[in-house]
Amino acid sequence: MTVTDISQRKRFLAEDNIYLPHIVVIEKIIDESPGVGTFHFNFKDEKLRKEFSFEAGQFAELSVFGVGEATFCITSSPTRSDHLECAVNRVGAVTNALHRLGVGAEMGFRGPFGNSFPLELMEGKNLVFVGGGIGLAPLRSLIWYAIDNRDKYKNIDIIYGARSPADLSFKYDLESWGKDKTVNMVTTVDKGDKSWKGREGFVPTVLEQAAPSAKDAVAIVCGPPVMIRFTFPVLEKLGFTPEQMITTLEKRMKCGVGKCGRCNIGNLYVCRDGPVFSYAQIKNFISSEY
Amino acid sequence: MANKKIDKKNISKLLKKWSQEFSVFVPSLENNEAIMAEWDGKDISFLDWYRNTVKPPKANFLPLMEKLFSFKKRKGNYQIEVPPADKSKQLIFGIRPCDARALTILDMTFTDAYEDPYYLARRRNTVLVGMTCTDPYDSCFCTSLEGSPSDAANVDLMLTDIGDSFLMEAVTDKGKKLIASASELKDATSADESKATEVKDAAASKITRKIDARDIDKKLLASFDDKDYWEKVAAKCISCGICTFLCPTCYCFDINDEMVKNQGARFRNWDSCAFPVYTKMPMENPREEKWHRIRQKVCHKYEFYPMNFGVIACTGCGRCIRLCPVNWDITQALNSLPVKV
Repeated sequence: MTVTDISQRKRFLAEDNIYLPHIVVIEKIIDESPGVGTFHFNFKDEKLRKEFSFEAGQFAELSVFGVGEATFCITSSPTRSDHLECAVNRVGAVTNALHRLGVGAEMGFRGPFGNSFPLELMEGKNLVFVGGGIGLAPLRSLIWYAIDNRDKYKNIDIIYGARSPADLSFKYDLESWGKDKTVNMVTTVDKGDKSWKGREGFVPTVLEQAAPSAKDAVAIVCGPPVMIRFTFPVLEKLGFTPEQMITTLEKRMKCGVGKCGRCNIGNLYVCRDGPVFSYAQIKNFISSEY
Repeated sequence: MANKKIDKKNISKLLKKWSQEFSVFVPSLENNEAIMAEWDGKDISFLDWYRNTVKPPKANFLPLMEKLFSFKKRKGNYQIEVPPADKSKQLIFGIRPCDARALTILDMTFTDAYEDPYYLARRRNTVLVGMTCTDPYDSCFCTSLEGSPSDAANVDLMLTDIGDSFLMEAVTDKGKKLIASASELKDATSADESKATEVKDAAASKITRKIDARDIDKKLLASFDDKDYWEKVAAKCISCGICTFLCPTCYCFDINDEMVKNQGARFRNWDSCAFPVYTKMPMENPREEKWHRIRQKVCHKYEFYPMNFGVIACTGCGRCIRLCPVNWDITQALNSLPVKV
């Protein structure tokens, strides 16, 4: 894939000002795993509620007024968009403040920003999803999109893992993908507990054992940086070319629109040129910058 | 249109005239340091001492701190209020060619893909009156970067000191308008023109610090993973960030909220890639080590900006060299790159 021209993307800026948030209202919060909650929310403005659209892979800036903003991928699918969903891991000032909010509370929302998954590249192909921990969040948007457009794709493989059974996110989705006969789902944990009957092992290892074919396939990878770094070599071993390996990256961001400077990997800005990249685009820099 | 000239004695008359239309900024001393400050209506003594400002004029467009919007909370509902667009017209008098060029470089980021309304409102309401740099510092190296002490490409009106008067070259329509009705001006003679050429050549020849900017982006790309080199380059840096704050092309900023009781605002502030916290994420930091950050600073200017915008994001103003508390020197770093292409 190449850098997409984000200036051609549909915009929903408040007063044509990139820094002004829209007000959104929390409709529901689902506990996913320790410290992780999925926030379901909708625009306060009725017109925007109807008109807003996004593509799988795009992200948004959510804010708690008085505390600040942070970046989240939109984890819901554009095919199921009566509301929006973001998964929030309670790790910093903003995410802690978000977790203190309840249903009915207002947040700031800027977006959708960034590029999206290269649907044209994936059409008619086998899709191999490789996810780790909360890194399933951006993949989930695309997985539901692919399931809702099932005839456009051949096999769908999902290899997903987390540190422990409790750290598995979106368990309700894992369950329904597991039951879906058109999807091959492998779930693994680094270390199981007494009640865990599934697989044990790190995601890259399990991927190597599952050995999905690289022929006519696109791999979509997201997880903690260490998982991403170890997954690419495995995919290369399986015959995937750097162009066939897609990932979506997370970096500290502030503006979300390519101005504030901090989210670059080499000359590419995760907010402006990503967050979705092919391994071919970033391999010069990823070893030492991610 | 032939060039004009103005007697130095009449500069304040001209500034007064411009003051009717613009907020006029001139070099001034604050705590014994040169900055661009609003003219007090009389003092033009800066003509005697001014070389360049410590704080670059980027601060007139991207202030150290600015309010993006304010908000109020009432019964759990938030109301957002945007400050009215900055419509005040400003004229910056005496901007140096390196700093004017820096604004052209900043424009690329602030117009790219999404426009930055705050920066661009000020930029569009500004007139730049440049001044040939007749006494450059030994830290200056603009001539290595397609610049020169008399480069008029990025200003509206350019002044060159030719003794008792300044030669005035109107570069843009805005510049022509500035001097169209000024009775203090005389037509420049051919003797004035040749004197100006002499002054410009002399100024350029005073700049002896050089870098080899040819293929610098390729050399940096090839040296990107050379940890030993970058560690050596970064060794004496103390990560204070002053080189980035005072750099006319550095634009990185942070966004923060402040709130007291039910009222607050979102601000942006200058930030710096020299600080570890700049890229710090809860679980890890891609630029934890000092050499990561120095590499980012150098590569952003000399490798990534050329890749994205086709220009080097450094104008050779030399501030990062002469104002660094530990004498870190970017020209040394660039001239000692291990890979030759």
